[in-house]
Amino acid sequence: MSHSSALPEPDALREALREVIDPEVGINIVDLGLVYRIAFEDGVVVVEMTMTSPACPLGEMIADEVDEALRRHLPPNTPIDVRLVWEPPWTPEKMSEAARRHFDRRR
Amino acid sequence: MAFSSAASRLPLLLLGMIALVTGVLAGLARLAVDVPSFAAAQAGNHGALMIGGFLGTVIALERAVALAGESRLWPFAGPLFAGVGGLAHLIGAPVVLTQFLFIAASAIVTTGSALLYLRQPAMYLATLTLGALSWFAGNLVWLVTHTLLPAVPWWLAFLVLTIAGERLELTRFLPTPQTVRHGFAAIIFGLLGAAMLSLWLESTGLSLFALMLVALAAWLLRHDIARQTIRQRGLTRYIAVCLLTGYFWLVIGGLLGGIGGLAPGSPWRDAALHAILLGFVFAMIFGHAPIIFPAVAKVKIPYHPVFYLPLTLLHLTVFARIAGDLASLPTLTQRAAIGNALTLLAFVLTILVRVFFAKAR
Repeated sequence: MSHSSALPEPDALREALREVIDPEVGINIVDLGLVYRIAFEDGVVVVEMTMTSPACPLGEMIADEVDEALRRHLPPNTPIDVRLVWEPPWTPEKMSEAARRHFDRRR
Repeated sequence: MAFSSAASRLPLLLLGMIALVTGVLAGLARLAVDVPSFAAAQAGNHGALMIGGFLGTVIALERAVALAGESRLWPFAGPLFAGVGGLAHLIGAPVVLTQFLFIAASAIVTTGSALLYLRQPAMYLATLTLGALSWFAGNLVWLVTHTLLPAVPWWLAFLVLTIAGERLELTRFLPTPQTVRHGFAAIIFGLLGAAMLSLWLESTGLSLFALMLVALAAWLLRHDIARQTIRQRGLTRYIAVCLLTGYFWLVIGGLLGGIGGLAPGSPWRDAALHAILLGFVFAMIFGHAPIIFPAVAKVKIPYHPVFYLPLTLLHLTVFARIAGDLASLPTLTQRAAIGNALTLLAFVLTILVRVFFAKAR
């Protein structure tokens, strides 16, 4: 991607985050409903995401993976700010239809 | 921020590893295997080193990393105290020093977990908090009674509730009916009640405790997402295999304990305890090290099917050990225990080789 090209839409970045997989469940963080918000604020790509549990130690690591995945889709040196937030808490309702079906059909 | 870097966390992990190595060798000394004198001197402290010194440090570190995202430093005192507590044993400090350090460590982990629960009152966070509180209770019992034996059910509850709480958290992905969750709560309270009872009515309490472990294993075998994720591929499937095979050992350990195997002096005690602590707890560790270790130490451990090798060795050597115990073949038990130790070594080497390859890439 060249410098002159426009920044991708937040929706495109959301798609890019499907590369980040929760290793325990084998499903990407977007379908799990962990990505709350993606926005451009003063040239900074801000991502607000959560974890299914505040007791989970994987938060930092997954945030780093989000950062890496976004860099592959953004012009070089675009500032990225990945924030782990706990409000509102994650609930199963936040999962996509696809993720819910994945778990449901195995019952 | 201090402790946000791997360099500051690795020494804490190293303290846990020192307790692990000494604890394993101390365990072998109990089975009349020749080990270096520093470890042979710790034969009586095998359980304290493995559960408080190793697992306590690792679990406290895991919880501290989860809490660290909010720029809090104090949770890291948990793994520090647990690790130094193990070290105090090794340098021959008075036992009471280790006891106080473990009490401090478990109090910190309990406080951290309770804060998470208060912010988000979910059943799985209550379970984790009760697990940490069980560790604290066991350490107090050890301090007051001057013996490890009555502390053991509490230390087992610490590990079992910590694992069960984390598994309960993941069942939220599934539509699990409310009554099933109430069943889980009933088992947890039954387990803690039985641990309490064991302080007064030792054999009854321990048998009841063991049967609650069987109930918990049955609950997990039925409701854990591992039953779904085993159909995935790669690392996700490997973790599921570790879990489901680990639950099998929890059932075996619980059944052995249910017929008196957890009672001190029982000929099946070694079998019951190691089915639970090696077969179940270490299968869990083998499964989760490839994701928890990178989270704590910030190094990548790419999945490779070779991970199944130490897992298979674990199950084979635990099976041999229990067979040796049940058939009263001390030589088999002893050789299987050496096999258990070599399995842990194989596991650590597997992880280190994968880390090396990840860096070389």
